[in-house]
Amino acid sequence: MGLQHTSVPRWPTADPGVDRTGRAYAVMSFGPDAAPLAAGWGRELHALGRTVWSWHGEAATDEAVAELRRQVEYATVGWRLMLAGPQCDVLRAHAEALRGGVLEAEITVLVTDAVRTRVWCAHCGATTLADAALGEVTGCSGCGRSLYVYHHVSRRTATHLGFMADAEELQ
Amino acid sequence: MTLKLVVRRSTEIAEGIREIVMTRPDDGPLPAHPPGSHVVVDCGPQRNAYSLTNCGIDPGAYTVAVLRRPTADGGSGGSEQMHRFQPGDRVALSPPRSAFPPVSTARRHLLIAGGIGITPLLSHARNAVRWGADVRLLYVHRPGAGAYADELSELLGERAQRVTEKSEFSVLLRQALVSQPMGTHLYVCGPAALMDRVLQEAAAAGWPPQRLHLERFTPAELDPGQPFTASLGRSRRQVSVPAGTSLLEALENAGVEVPNMCRQGVCGECRVPVLAGRPLHRDEFLSEDERVAGDSVMCCVSRSETETLEVDL
Repeated sequence: MGLQHTSVPRWPTADPGVDRTGRAYAVMSFGPDAAPLAAGWGRELHALGRTVWSWHGEAATDEAVAELRRQVEYATVGWRLMLAGPQCDVLRAHAEALRGGVLEAEITVLVTDAVRTRVWCAHCGATTLADAALGEVTGCSGCGRSLYVYHHVSRRTATHLGFMADAEELQ
Repeated sequence: MTLKLVVRRSTEIAEGIREIVMTRPDDGPLPAHPPGSHVVVDCGPQRNAYSLTNCGIDPGAYTVAVLRRPTADGGSGGSEQMHRFQPGDRVALSPPRSAFPPVSTARRHLLIAGGIGITPLLSHARNAVRWGADVRLLYVHRPGAGAYADELSELLGERAQRVTEKSEFSVLLRQALVSQPMGTHLYVCGPAALMDRVLQEAAAAGWPPQRLHLERFTPAELDPGQPFTASLGRSRRQVSVPAGTSLLEALENAGVEVPNMCRQGVCGECRVPVLAGRPLHRDEFLSEDERVAGDSVMCCVSRSETETLEVDL
């Protein structure tokens, strides 16, 4: 099993363009870098005569995710989701959409940066928001253990797996 | 493996449509199968694929419904033989094969049937009702040829819409395609023209191909195609495949045996791994993702886009 089988998403960092096959759209963007890109998508979709619901905020907060859940609940097939922002935020929105029955094929993603990571602790189950790349170590906000950020990503919980970095060292 | 069954009953259930019930000679249990499965039946000179109407759990009998369809040249198609079967007759068929199952994660199942294409969707409907899944059916047929109409209305009530007018079907189809909740999967079976139309209108309404599932019971008309060379990776041989000859036939002529059954791109038996080159997929078996991957080919109908197709044989 090489890296081609990794669960780490490889989403485009350049504008993938608007998916024109949909009938109605939701455009969600997070952070300042994503705002102009999302606005561009919105303009293009309006020009194509499509219905567009737009949302912009600093991060994929609980409120943002709840808002997206409502959109998915009312959506009919033909609906598309376009996401732009830092990887940890788009991953979270992406997870919410999948939970609602949206397919990967119906989601367009643009990642503006991948500095921040949501790390799920295998020991206490807490999720820590950390500026840590793959293979780096970060402290768990739940139990304080030093977590190794592993290249395993849950598309359901939108977190990277973290486990105790020095588990096999004698204390 | 071939199942040797006995015809127990053959009943005309609608104009030109017979329902045939088959069991084991000792009435013992038969292999279970996912909803939407089909069997390939030996009917005289031909082997035809027929959908099972059972939902597939612990089947004691296999039931198919066959529309009598004389061949264009006036000869006897497989359906004629099927209509001639009498109770007590022996019949040889393949075990059930699943190429049209319901998607387990679907929020709703939208079933669209044209004419005798109702058979696999009856299986889907029974399964959905059994498990309490959200299901809708749109069924269009010729007047008097509505097989299973009563049973479906009892099974689904208002969730089933049945029409005999094409114009009425068009209106209902258009409404259905723009009003399904997110997470719905669509399943269509019927004449080629109907299926093509449903797929086309669904795409125009924004349905991605991953949500669309079809079962063709009449193989698509295939053109003879371009000649190409099959390069056999293991035996290091080159087999040329002329236009009008299938890859499977060319391999057989060269003495290479490939397991096969339906020879019309439906059953999935003759799947061959591809090592290099780009297959030209013309089958109904592979999924969208498998087509894109291009690492296998159904050699009975599919050909090659590249001049050479290297296969793992």
